Amino acid sequence: MHAALNNIRVAFGPLVAVDDVSIAIAAGEVHAVVGENGAGKSTLMNVLFGLIKPEAGTIEVEGVARNWASPQDAIRAGLGMVHQHFMLQEEMTVLENIVLCGEPVNRFGFVDFNRARQKLADGFREHGIVIDLDATVGGLAVGQRQVVEILKMLYRDARLLILDEPTAVLTPQEKDRLFGILRSFAASGKSIVIITHKLDEVLEIADRVSVMRGGRLVSSGPLGETSKDRIAREIIGGDLPPPLKPAARTPGEVVLSVRGLRAGTRGWVGPLSFDVHAGEIVGIAGVSGNGQAELIRALAGLAPGVAGEIMLNGQPVDRLDVGGRRRTGMSYIPEDRQRAGLALGATVAENANAGRDDVSTFSRGPFLDRAAMASFARGLIERYRIKVAGPSALASTMSGGNKQKLVVGRELARGTPLVIAENPTWGVDIGAIELIHAELLRMRDQGHAVLLVSTELDEILRLSDRVLVMYSGTLSEPIEAADADRNRIGALMTSRTDAALRSVA
Amino acid sequence: MSGRAERLMSGDLLPWIVMLAWILAILFGLMLLVGANFGEALSGFFNGAFGGRRMAYLAATLSRATLIVGMALSVMISFRAGLFNIGGEGQLVAGGLVSALVAILLPGPPLVVLVAAILAGMAAGALWALLAGVLYLYVGVPLLVGSLLLNFPIRYIASYLVAHPFRDVPSGMLQSHLVPEATWLAYFPGFRLDIGILFIVATSIFAIVYSHTTVHGYQARLNGLSADFARTVGLPVRKLTLQTLAMSGAIAGLVGAIAVFGMHHRYIDGMLVQPLYAWTGIIAVLLVGMIPWLVPLSGLFFAALQTGAAGMERAAGVPKEIALVMQAVIILFVASRVSGAILSARSSGTRGGDDV
Repeated sequence: MHAALNNIRVAFGPLVAVDDVSIAIAAGEVHAVVGENGAGKSTLMNVLFGLIKPEAGTIEVEGVARNWASPQDAIRAGLGMVHQHFMLQEEMTVLENIVLCGEPVNRFGFVDFNRARQKLADGFREHGIVIDLDATVGGLAVGQRQVVEILKMLYRDARLLILDEPTAVLTPQEKDRLFGILRSFAASGKSIVIITHKLDEVLEIADRVSVMRGGRLVSSGPLGETSKDRIAREIIGGDLPPPLKPAARTPGEVVLSVRGLRAGTRGWVGPLSFDVHAGEIVGIAGVSGNGQAELIRALAGLAPGVAGEIMLNGQPVDRLDVGGRRRTGMSYIPEDRQRAGLALGATVAENANAGRDDVSTFSRGPFLDRAAMASFARGLIERYRIKVAGPSALASTMSGGNKQKLVVGRELARGTPLVIAENPTWGVDIGAIELIHAELLRMRDQGHAVLLVSTELDEILRLSDRVLVMYSGTLSEPIEAADADRNRIGALMTSRTDAALRSVA
Repeated sequence: MSGRAERLMSGDLLPWIVMLAWILAILFGLMLLVGANFGEALSGFFNGAFGGRRMAYLAATLSRATLIVGMALSVMISFRAGLFNIGGEGQLVAGGLVSALVAILLPGPPLVVLVAAILAGMAAGALWALLAGVLYLYVGVPLLVGSLLLNFPIRYIASYLVAHPFRDVPSGMLQSHLVPEATWLAYFPGFRLDIGILFIVATSIFAIVYSHTTVHGYQARLNGLSADFARTVGLPVRKLTLQTLAMSGAIAGLVGAIAVFGMHHRYIDGMLVQPLYAWTGIIAVLLVGMIPWLVPLSGLFFAALQTGAAGMERAAGVPKEIALVMQAVIILFVASRVSGAILSARSSGTRGGDDV
């Protein structure tokens, strides 16, 4: 299906999210839309799908000018969108989810599931999809859920598919399967739009690439006419910083020691045992939902473990609360900066000073020393190049990357022996990723212990000295960075340790 | 109209204008219904709220405002910390009851008795609020539910105590004996207003200073803005919760004591419950979005609304229930604003979802 957006402009209050952008999607192509967070790519696609009404500009589908009143119009015209967060009914079966709101009805008014099955079976054959239609969605892995989302659109005969960050939650193997399906779709004449920030995936699957920056379209053209470097430069609007070269590792004392830890509801995660030494980064890889969140909550003291012991700096901390553990020598960069990392309704200065142990440096008796708070915040703003009006601006006025830089800056400024970083670069732009990675490496080189928990395999491989893989509540044996390769870790991410090792060996 | 002005209208001013329009429309509608004279009604309203012979009505307004503002401050301190303590009524009753009983039972010089009674009332309010806090932290009863339900036992305990053991039987009413006359709060010279209002002025200053400038107020507010955040950065959330509730309850208890020593000079069954001081306080706080320095003004506004309506009834025959109707419109307005804020926060507040 051919679609075009002409001179689209969208503004939210004073912020112009999309500024005079024209983009065309040809039939049978995979079109990647890339850009930093806040570049306007999701907004632009939401316009195409009827979720946002543009201030100016026109939408054209198969040569006909369209004016969507709602996404329902777009769906009827043959468009489909898979959002980053799936919209599925967990309690219902795959088939029920697929036909929801488009149920085939027989002449007595009953849902005719057999007709739906037949229709889907044809699609399965054509595109090589394998899924159990009678399984309950709640029991499916993330990759399978994504397939269900795609089947919903296939069932509705969508001819233009928009996927927002479709691989964010997938293992490498699941990603390969998804790309296979998408290629097959494109071959059958459907158009695919992928919103992503992963350049390797763009190179792997896209026919055409459009780069957005600051609400404007920087470039749009066939993949063959550009290169990875060029796309990267266009995304950040300048040259990439040189690659990181970690110094040789000189691990010291054990800083964090975990023995037989069980966490989560009825202790379903564990038993886990591992050490993190001073001067090293230990990465925990894995698809999200395999117990990483439970492990971190148990370590941080947010939800004490069910059993086992945690030693920090040689002291048992199991009985301490969050504040006690932090004072013993722990910092924590949480994944959810919107709720756990920051209080968005408070100012930058108020956020920067929260959780500091040395309350006396920004207070006089029971009163706050606002000037000291502001100057500490100003230090972080300069050091981490945070783009914000100033210490007294509300935290909610910052973009995602800048919010994250503030969280990272605040936690690292404490200079504790142990730093726990949970998906520290989730959804932030390339510039911020570089800065955050460099800061974590600097902490390591200065002799701090860093525990990095991330669902981004690239991030793990780039920073870690040792890698542990988490699957279904258990950890693999540690893998030295030198021995870590994507395929082996990918296999460990999807199966029990022993089985995975056998299949690799 | 320029784009900027338009945004300002739709964003900030429009809801207020809509609310005012509703209030005026209802006001005029009711006046038409009873065939009242607009001018008389209006002057009756202002006279009833701020005038009267020797400013008697102004004194009534201020005296009512004392209690409403006090309760509003109590509510503000807990709400800003994210603690939805809606048990102000129970804490108010506990404070009034205990301070009255202490003053009746404790012998000694009047000033000592008064101070002891006020402190006992504050302690009683604080303890009643802490009870809700303990149920919340250690038993898992949501604060909203626990604090609300605790209103009922204390109301009935108070009813029982003034109906049986401490009843002033000869008076024939459900009320305690009078507290010693020497402990009554003095009136301002030539003005029928007791000095209880000074306690609330002091409390207002305390609450504003506390909210904006103290470490405790700062940490409590972070907890109010995001409980997840406060926990994650290791703030002593339990301690903050209990201390803030105790403070909130103590202020409610103080208000109860002021009502006893300044206005009624005894504990009368229902005297703190029927005028809905605690609930009006909650509305007053929500109307101004918990902004500390606006809370006393908001409380004064509601007091004037109520006494003014009574004046309008006397002057023009417009039923004074109109004040309740206006309050209901304000509640609807506040509720729509609060839920609107929650909805917009939800749509923009997904996990790290700050992509535009």
